[in-house]
Amino acid sequence: MELVINDLTKEFEEVKAVNHVTCTLGNGVYGLLGVNGAGKTTLMRTLCTLLSPTSGSILWDGQDIFQMDGQYRKILGYLPQEFGFYPDFTVEDYLMYVSSIKGLRPAVAKRRVKELLHQVGLSGAAGQKMKRLSGGMKRRAGIAQAMLNNPKVLILDEPTAGLDPGERVRFRNLISELSEDRLVLLSTHIVSDVEYIANELLLMAAGELRYSGTPSQVIASMPQKVWKLRVSRQEVENYLHRYQISNLKAEADGVELRILADQRPHPLAAQAEATLEDVFLYYFGSQVFMQEEEGDCSHRLAGKWGRGK
Amino acid sequence: MIRFEIKKIFCRKSGKVVLLALAVLLAVSCYMPIHDTRYVNEQGETERGLGAARKLREAKKEWSGLVTEEQVKRVLRENRRINQTAEARSEEVKKQDIAYSWKQGFSDIREMINSAFGDFQEYDYFKADSVTETEVGDFYSNRPAKLKEWLETDQMARGEFSEEEKAYLLRQYEKLETPFYYEDSDGWQHLFEWAPTVIMITVLILGFLTAGIFSSEFQLKSDAIFFSSYYGRDKAVRSKIAAGLLTVTAIYWTMLLLYTAVVLGALGAGGADCPVQSAGMSSWKIFYNITFLEEYLLVTAGGYVGCLFMILVTMLVSTKTRSAVAAVMVPFLLIFLPAFLSGVVTNRVLGLLPDRLLQINLALHYFNVYRLGSRVIPAIPILFVTYGVAAAILIPMLYHSYRKAKVW
Repeated sequence: MELVINDLTKEFEEVKAVNHVTCTLGNGVYGLLGVNGAGKTTLMRTLCTLLSPTSGSILWDGQDIFQMDGQYRKILGYLPQEFGFYPDFTVEDYLMYVSSIKGLRPAVAKRRVKELLHQVGLSGAAGQKMKRLSGGMKRRAGIAQAMLNNPKVLILDEPTAGLDPGERVRFRNLISELSEDRLVLLSTHIVSDVEYIANELLLMAAGELRYSGTPSQVIASMPQKVWKLRVSRQEVENYLHRYQISNLKAEADGVELRILADQRPHPLAAQAEATLEDVFLYYFGSQVFMQEEEGDCSHRLAGKWGRGK
Repeated sequence: MIRFEIKKIFCRKSGKVVLLALAVLLAVSCYMPIHDTRYVNEQGETERGLGAARKLREAKKEWSGLVTEEQVKRVLRENRRINQTAEARSEEVKKQDIAYSWKQGFSDIREMINSAFGDFQEYDYFKADSVTETEVGDFYSNRPAKLKEWLETDQMARGEFSEEEKAYLLRQYEKLETPFYYEDSDGWQHLFEWAPTVIMITVLILGFLTAGIFSSEFQLKSDAIFFSSYYGRDKAVRSKIAAGLLTVTAIYWTMLLLYTAVVLGALGAGGADCPVQSAGMSSWKIFYNITFLEEYLLVTAGGYVGCLFMILVTMLVSTKTRSAVAAVMVPFLLIFLPAFLSGVVTNRVLGLLPDRLLQINLALHYFNVYRLGSRVIPAIPILFVTYGVAAAILIPMLYHSYRKAKVW
């Protein structure tokens, strides 16, 4: 069972949201990493047949997913970035409704809803109205609806957006638990979401797939080295202008910088092991900073002074 | 699936408010015709409501039967007798009311006489007072004769109708079987008086209820899950249409049947088989040869066809615009816009607009006929066929439009 994306392009007027993307996905968890606007959502919506491609094709086991129509959607589970629901439905009603449009017979649906509510920890909230749930509970209801038909292809678009760190960890574990024997494609711009659970990472920028591989391959793909260096507060600005800084930690006696550079930036700099966050900065550096300037500060990167090379 | 679609409509607070509004509308609509029924008692006092309806029915019962020449003469004699009483001649309103109370039993036949012998265009309430028994032979024949005269002499009528259309109208008039059978039909008449209000407000409320069926997924951002599900592009869309049609059908007929049951239950359902022309006044001129029961069927069925058409357009607009706000305007425009078009477009065009279906009892009074090839067809069958077919076409249009929706 594999999903083959073949030279896929999706244009909106003049903009290429997805630009000649080619890859093959089998069973396992795939982390689709990229900054906001990289084309992740458009790619995912196309994979869910919500948008038709401008060119290229998507094949599931050799068959075009758009020609498969309902047969493809039957094996698909999708949690969109903006998870919309019916606010006045109870959690149980909502899941029963989604079961019905997913083609589950009522008796099967009832059983499945009960199982999933238990699995996502919402058994106690089954009778609560959707609008009364907390952000984390809503997301869990979202993953439950995506899992109702026991999908072979599970697509999760920014599933952890807006969750607090504790909820995010719980959510990550849940996804890991549900990922057996299926293809899970999870998009995020938060590296830690996929760092531990993804078998393979797909790095996307400006509609293109820039790099793909296992987390260790992705880390190894970065030609630059990572250096740790403690500097005074006055020197920070200077380093930010000269290097890409993946982390900046203020301490009592100065600031510890995590610098990406080919050469040792300072005789006192010590080489550190590269992480996915370093790679993320390496591939998407300037775009990350642009987003930070626009107010999206969720990347936990260099900070307000950041200017990458 | 349909159950959940219906639940989506009614589980919202607005859905519950709408149900309450329908209940209030029904209560007011039932109260008004009953309250409007008046009976003047022998003391000249006006009574209203259920008791008045019962007394009026009793008074009119005596005059039930075929409206033969003899019956018309009887009415004229009784009318004349009352006119000569001191009460009728008195300047005092109270006394005049007492005299009127004696006329209530035959007031419908008296109105027919006014219409039969009065001017074709102008209704003269006192005409019956001057009609002599020797003229009674013209009671029925005056009807087509006056139409013919109007068609030939009236400037507007001459320009409005072709020769074929004039001939059609005359044929219709001549086809009316006479003498009429008369029975008190106040229940039906009051029912028809308020029916357009009930139907139009029901349609507006239904528009409000159904406007969100096809736009809610987009507004709630649940479209991605809906369209990426197994049935999201076929059966689930059909369920939405079915939910819309079921809601419209159930609410429309519940409202209409409850309204009918209460009004006829209170005011009486007698006269169902009498021709609509027996209501006198402007009904005398109706060229559709139907009974009150047939008028009722036309009013309710026409309202239903019009309602279906308007609601399907509403749902289509909701699909295209992805907005319930834009969609909810549709029934308002379809119902109220024609009132502003009067004078801008011809009566012939106005006669074919869908709002007419919601007020068939009024449409019956218009001389709207149309030539289709060599045939002349009245407006009402055209309205039924046109908007019935349009509604049938709108269903697949709605289905295809929604199932092809893209989720950006």
